[in-house]
Amino acid sequence: MESYQYLLDYLENAPTIIKVVWITICVFFIAVVILTIYLKYLRNRLRKNEKTVAEYQKEYESDLITYLYAGNEEEEISAEQQLIIDKLRSCASDEFKRRIIVSTLLRLRNEISGEMADAIQKLYFQSGLISFALKRLKSKKWYVVAKGIRELTQLRVKEADDKILMFVNHPKKEIRKEVQLYLVTLFHFEGLQFLDVLQTQLSEWDQIQLLEVLQRFDEQEIPDINPWLKSANDSVVVFALKLAKIYNQFEVKDALIDLLAHPQKKIRVDAIHVLSHLQVFEAKTVLKNNFDILSKEEQIEFFKLLENLCETGDEPFLLTQTTHQNFEIKLSALKILKTLSNEKFKDLKDFSTDADYVKIYEFLAYN
Amino acid sequence: MSDAKKIVLAEDNSTLSLLLKFRLEKEGYKLLIAADGKEAIEMIEQHDPELILTDIMMPFISGLEVISHVRNKLNKQTPIIVFSAAGQEEMVLKAFNLGANDFMGKPFSPNELVIRVKRLLR
Repeated sequence: MESYQYLLDYLENAPTIIKVVWITICVFFIAVVILTIYLKYLRNRLRKNEKTVAEYQKEYESDLITYLYAGNEEEEISAEQQLIIDKLRSCASDEFKRRIIVSTLLRLRNEISGEMADAIQKLYFQSGLISFALKRLKSKKWYVVAKGIRELTQLRVKEADDKILMFVNHPKKEIRKEVQLYLVTLFHFEGLQFLDVLQTQLSEWDQIQLLEVLQRFDEQEIPDINPWLKSANDSVVVFALKLAKIYNQFEVKDALIDLLAHPQKKIRVDAIHVLSHLQVFEAKTVLKNNFDILSKEEQIEFFKLLENLCETGDEPFLLTQTTHQNFEIKLSALKILKTLSNEKFKDLKDFSTDADYVKIYEFLAYN
Repeated sequence: MSDAKKIVLAEDNSTLSLLLKFRLEKEGYKLLIAADGKEAIEMIEQHDPELILTDIMMPFISGLEVISHVRNKLNKQTPIIVFSAAGQEEMVLKAFNLGANDFMGKPFSPNELVIRVKRLLR
């Protein structure tokens, strides 16, 4: 009691700053105690939740495997399968359980193919889980819609394409990305038809993801990409150029040559790159004739094309470019001339007194 | 059942493990399931199985390390089938270099797996 009185006296007589410090310490101490209790409660709750999820998962895993092996040839759905369908149908109305059921189906669906994978999809329909995913598409929250589309993609539900196509030009890029992945994952090259109506930009990341999905398929027969090369949406043109290169679409060479006059410099440069890859000789004449009006990037890209498609007839043009002000072009011109004729290259030693020219010549002569 | 050939399955996807257990036990094999590479090595050392099925990507110890352990530490020629996901081609090559006998890319058909298991255990 005495020490308690002593503390009170001490605080009463202490300077204001000391009082403030003590009050702050007390407040922080109480806050730490409350937060520690709360964290402990939260951790216990999460652990309990984890345990419940694991229990349900085990139960649904077992149900799923039983369903997959309970079929027989006489009936479309055996009695045992019907019991499981009914059980999952009733559990699906609870969101928590539904999430676990869907994740269990997906965990297996992603790992296996063939009849069993088809059976999992059948169960997804029979248990009514699909109706919940379709309901998500009507949500006002963008992330709910995106998750719904992803679920339909993962469970290969082709039947929802009409509903999903309506989101092709959705203002949220996350939804657009899910739509594109749905279409390409399920309909392969045919799914790329969304490019006909795409009004928004297809980001570089979107393009990489689409190409990654497409390269998983064995079929290499891609639809006509001419309309996409002529699209008013520049990102669609850029993507179509990538398709033309990866899938060696030589038949679109005329559309590629037309792109050399595209208002966007990036597209013109990319078009030269693809023309070079496809070895379209006609492009060389067009570019050579317009060389002086090309941007520096296009000129450099054109020289990369020339390295690929050079002929003896290009020598006069190349000679004029050995004194070009750009180092890269000078180097490329001399390199091509050496490739065309080593003898003629030797005669070029004193062609120019330009310091860069001399350096490049010396380098190429000894390498 | 005691004469049944033993197979160790190292796979971290419990649903897939359960499915393969059902399928292969139906064919008369005894399945020992390991949830990761560490558990798989312990089971292999303890039970000396006739065949090993292993995923490449697993927690703690990868499928490649399991193969290396069997071939180089235990000096066993037990047939090994490797499961790999798309984009793990390099890993599959490494697995073959370490001594794997066969591989299956995910997603795979359980029926096809049974055929490959039977062929290796003939």
